[in-house]
Amino acid sequence: MLEHQEFIASPSFNVGDRVTVKSGHPESHCRTPVYLRGKRGTIVEVVGRYHNPSLLALHKPGLPKLWLYRVRFQQSDVWEDYDGSSRDTVIADIYEHWLSSDEEHLNVSP
Amino acid sequence: MQRKVNDVGGLTGSQIDQAEHDPTFYEKRIDALLMLLTGPKVQAFTVDSLRRAIEQNTPEDYSKRGYYEKWLLAIRQLLVEQQILSNEEIDRRIEEIKQRKGH
Repeated sequence: MLEHQEFIASPSFNVGDRVTVKSGHPESHCRTPVYLRGKRGTIVEVVGRYHNPSLLALHKPGLPKLWLYRVRFQQSDVWEDYDGSSRDTVIADIYEHWLSSDEEHLNVSP
Repeated sequence: MQRKVNDVGGLTGSQIDQAEHDPTFYEKRIDALLMLLTGPKVQAFTVDSLRRAIEQNTPEDYSKRGYYEKWLLAIRQLLVEQQILSNEEIDRRIEEIKQRKGH
């Protein structure tokens, strides 16, 4: 496996980057929940590169692999009228094609 | 924004029955069936495709059907998609078992 690593594209985002979850049409099997779409969060971990679940779901090999990130959101950014602590957060694993570095809402293009 | 039938995070739902119960024999058999079909020896389909098949339920079916019932119907659909069994073969076998049991 190691000899192939040099051909693996590097991740587009790094820990600490601010990202926006794209809006748009869910795929065959979609792992990005509606409640986070259009919300802005911070990358807390680059988890690794995994087979594309929406292609695996269609009996395909799931290639190319996708970078997966752990993203932290402020609960007060996720829910309107959130009345809990301002320090409350939610962390979700989100694949790279669902994320954008832009602030405006974008449509997903897998 | 399109919401899939399974994606209910943040919606107001009905009361959740939090009572625990032991898994029934029926549920254990469906669990075993899935583990064997997706395990390294058989690899009939992926868990991702099981999720996709479950997400294809209509909203009515999704709420009406039980958890393991959705698994079972998805397993059936995927075995047919992968041409491991045909709907006719499955239906014939169900009939045979019904006859044997005197239904």
